[in-house]
Amino acid sequence: MKSLSIGRLSLFFILVAGVLIVSMGGYFWMEIRQATAAVRQNELVSANQEVREALVILSQRLDKTATAVAQWEETRQQLVFPEYYSVWRDSRMRDSGLISSGAGAVALYDKAGLILAKQPGPDALPPRLPGKPPLVRYIAGTTGHQLEYFIPVHADPAAQILLGYLGMRLDFLAELERAYSFRYADLSVLKVDFPSQSKIDLKNSLPNLRFEVRENPNQVLFLNLFQVTQLRLTLVVLSVLLIAAWLLKRLVVHPLRTFSSEINAMRSVENNFPHRGMLGAPLLIAELESVRRAFGDYQERLFALHQNLEQNSQDFFDQARHDALTGAFNRRAYDEDWNNLGKDRRHGSAALLLFDCDHFKAINDTYGHHVGDRVIRAIAICLQSALRAGDRLYRVGGDEFASVILDDDPLHAQVVAERCQEHLMKHDFRQYGMSEPATISIGIAQSHSGEFCLGELQKRADLAMYAAKRPSSPKIVFYSEGMGELGALVANRSISAVFDAIRDHRLIELSYQAVMRLPMQQKEYVEALTRIRLNGELIRPDAIFPIVQARKLDAEFDLSVIRAVTDDMASGRLPAWQGVSINLSAPSIVNAKVVDAMLELVRAQKALAGGRKIVVEITETALITQMEVASANIEQLRSAGALVALDDFGSGYSSLRYLASMPVDLVKFDISMVRLLEHGERRQKMILEEIVSMVISAGYELVAEGIETREQLDNIIGLGFSHAQGFYFGKPGEELDPKTAHAAPQ
Amino acid sequence: MLRWIFLLITIFSLPVWAEPIELVLPNKLTAKAEYRKAEAGKPTVLLMHGFLQTHEFPTIHRLTEGLSSAGYGVLAPTLTLGVTHRKQSKACEAIHTYTMDEGSKELATWVNWLKANKTRTIVLMGHSFGSVELLAYLSTNHDPVVRKMIGVSAAEGRIKVDDKSRDKVIRQTRALVKAGSKNLLTQPFSFCQKFRATPKAMLSYLEWTPDHIILQAGNLPISTTFIMGSRDDRLGPGWIEQLGKTKAKVSVIEGANHFMDGDFEFDLLDTVLLELKSL
Repeated sequence: MKSLSIGRLSLFFILVAGVLIVSMGGYFWMEIRQATAAVRQNELVSANQEVREALVILSQRLDKTATAVAQWEETRQQLVFPEYYSVWRDSRMRDSGLISSGAGAVALYDKAGLILAKQPGPDALPPRLPGKPPLVRYIAGTTGHQLEYFIPVHADPAAQILLGYLGMRLDFLAELERAYSFRYADLSVLKVDFPSQSKIDLKNSLPNLRFEVRENPNQVLFLNLFQVTQLRLTLVVLSVLLIAAWLLKRLVVHPLRTFSSEINAMRSVENNFPHRGMLGAPLLIAELESVRRAFGDYQERLFALHQNLEQNSQDFFDQARHDALTGAFNRRAYDEDWNNLGKDRRHGSAALLLFDCDHFKAINDTYGHHVGDRVIRAIAICLQSALRAGDRLYRVGGDEFASVILDDDPLHAQVVAERCQEHLMKHDFRQYGMSEPATISIGIAQSHSGEFCLGELQKRADLAMYAAKRPSSPKIVFYSEGMGELGALVANRSISAVFDAIRDHRLIELSYQAVMRLPMQQKEYVEALTRIRLNGELIRPDAIFPIVQARKLDAEFDLSVIRAVTDDMASGRLPAWQGVSINLSAPSIVNAKVVDAMLELVRAQKALAGGRKIVVEITETALITQMEVASANIEQLRSAGALVALDDFGSGYSSLRYLASMPVDLVKFDISMVRLLEHGERRQKMILEEIVSMVISAGYELVAEGIETREQLDNIIGLGFSHAQGFYFGKPGEELDPKTAHAAPQ
Repeated sequence: MLRWIFLLITIFSLPVWAEPIELVLPNKLTAKAEYRKAEAGKPTVLLMHGFLQTHEFPTIHRLTEGLSSAGYGVLAPTLTLGVTHRKQSKACEAIHTYTMDEGSKELATWVNWLKANKTRTIVLMGHSFGSVELLAYLSTNHDPVVRKMIGVSAAEGRIKVDDKSRDKVIRQTRALVKAGSKNLLTQPFSFCQKFRATPKAMLSYLEWTPDHIILQAGNLPISTTFIMGSRDDRLGPGWIEQLGKTKAKVSVIEGANHFMDGDFEFDLLDTVLLELKSL
């Protein structure tokens, strides 16, 4: 059975009540009409009775009047001596008071039935008796209904002596109304069926009379009053019904509908939450108010529960989108926001900033994971504080962060990136037990309105970040078009090339740069510079090592390089006497496999007669966390016959502390230091000179990188450097060219 | 005491003695009267009612009863005044064609009727203007059976104007009669403010002036007595004194009015009986 709504049900009841009231009004109206008709019928009966009685009374009065006139002695006088009959008829008779003033005419007839004197006028009595009296005639006169009444006149009371006859003519209607005070009969429209001049039985002439029933003023008044009262009552009741309907709707239907809609709304999933503020005002109906309060309480509890759920959902959502360690948004949030950014067409320009912690693996390995976590957390805090309000920081990898700056001005991205570097530099990493600060590389790619898709932007930011990772590269790098080609290689081929080279060291193509003995400028050994030959194309170190570092492939790649050097040695590409230096990264020097491979190579060369010099250049010493292991390995290498060089001394990766701690033979000044000697300020030069002097005094041999001019060479020779390398002595690869071999530049 | 005896006799003897009489007059009219037969040896009194009245007028009726009770014969006729079978007093405003002469003739007819009914002595007694009617009869009729006339509250027939104006009215009326006018006249007469009559009838009444009455009363050949009430306000001033100047006897009942009603009806009856005894 289909349920009815309270509104329709209420409307139905109101309509039923309205129809019932109107019907009752109609019923009462019909009853009143019937009662009125019954009263009317009774009035008609009463009117007939009245007229009947009036006819009897009129007949009696006529008899009485006529008898009085007939017995009046002056009447008898006129019948005997009619000399003054006209005077008597027109004056004395009228003045006598015996007949009514309305009597039309009076006439006397002699015993033969002849009138004593003819009368003028239309209402005159006939000159001769129309019949034997007593008799009554009806006359349809010009002035209305007339009656003629004739009786005999006797001299004696015993009516033995006939003197003549008396005739009277009267206005029928006037005499009726004079004879009777009619309440019901309305004789103003009296119609008489008798033919004119016909003899009638006055007492029984009712059937021949047609008249109306007088309107009963009280009844009319009552009917009017009833109609007005009924109309007013109906209007009042209908008004009350309307008010009741309004109140019902206001007090019952509306609250119930609201309840119903609220409850129904809660049935649907998308609206399954409480609508606070529903029916905020108290209801006048106690039961509904109770329901409202109960429902309100229920909704309050539901709302609280919902809030809890929402909060939990939000927490779950946040947790799902936030990195637990740093509090920054995680990779999922990054991907979602990235997709949303792609859909949002409002932003025409965007800059993607990728942050990568330099040498984070080394930090982890050196100080432990808990320090690494704190470093990551500190980096996140610094970056977040440097970003603008509203800019989100995403942790997209172990030590990689990203942020998207929606702005048309590229300077803003630059400023933000510099501020990030600044905040990070200010952070005191010593609190975590670290000896050196953590640094980051920032790659920035910008997209101007509609320039390219976001996917391309991300790739470009990756390339810029890889570029920033390169040695001697600024730590903030904007993507440039030239970077695009390299990037494409890096992106598309370099990564696979690195992995291929790890799997197959033969893909590594080593280029050797000479390291000259000073001051005689005699080539003492060559440094193996790594490149990868893939499908005929050569991938340079600045494209290789960012990938290696990013992918944490240092040890694996260094192993492949060792194998490649071994191959070059075995193949004779490196002459048997030619010493060679091999770069090992910080992770590799503590890696047993790499060290073992290196020891094997050193030992193999030592085992040969006239074995070549093997130099191990340790890069990124600052990132060596397992210093004891590293020192032990270095001692092993030295013991095996290898020389150990501390690479990049003077840069961020190598410092005096490591020099003091590391048992090395050579100290390789970073190219930046060498350039300071030439172009630096006086004080800088003095400091460097003192450092050089100090290092030499400590028993180390010094190697200068990046020597490109004679002046530079003379300068370092003057300072006491024992070795030098650079384009001044030849480009990498030329050392193996027979034409340039052993040829010192002039 | 005597009067109370009369009253009782009247009450119990009335049904026995009362006899209505109808008499067809020579003019074919029927006149009505009440007749009480006299005891043997006692006269019959012909009682004449006043102006336009009938024999049922209270004063006449009381006298009829009293005299009848006393053994006197009583004939109380009603003048027809031109109306056959008249038994009602006639209105002043009615059309009066009846003359004093016609009245005298009706009285003569009734005297003859009494004589025909073996009445040997007749006393004429009139009340108010009935006394004048009797004077009119006696002025033209001399019947030896008629032995006495008694006038009770005899009226002077005044027309409520001074003598000069009355003479003028009479002269004018007489001229109309002489001219044969039939037009009805209306004139205050006696107690009527509008007495309407033919000139001839009017004149017959008007000519009976107080002087004419005094004159006729003084010349009657029979014993005449006038019984008057001292408080009769219907009479003109000095009328009783004028009557007293005639040879007629005048008896005044102190305190009585024109109709001698109340206790004075017995005084009247006593006075009348005394007069009758004197016959």
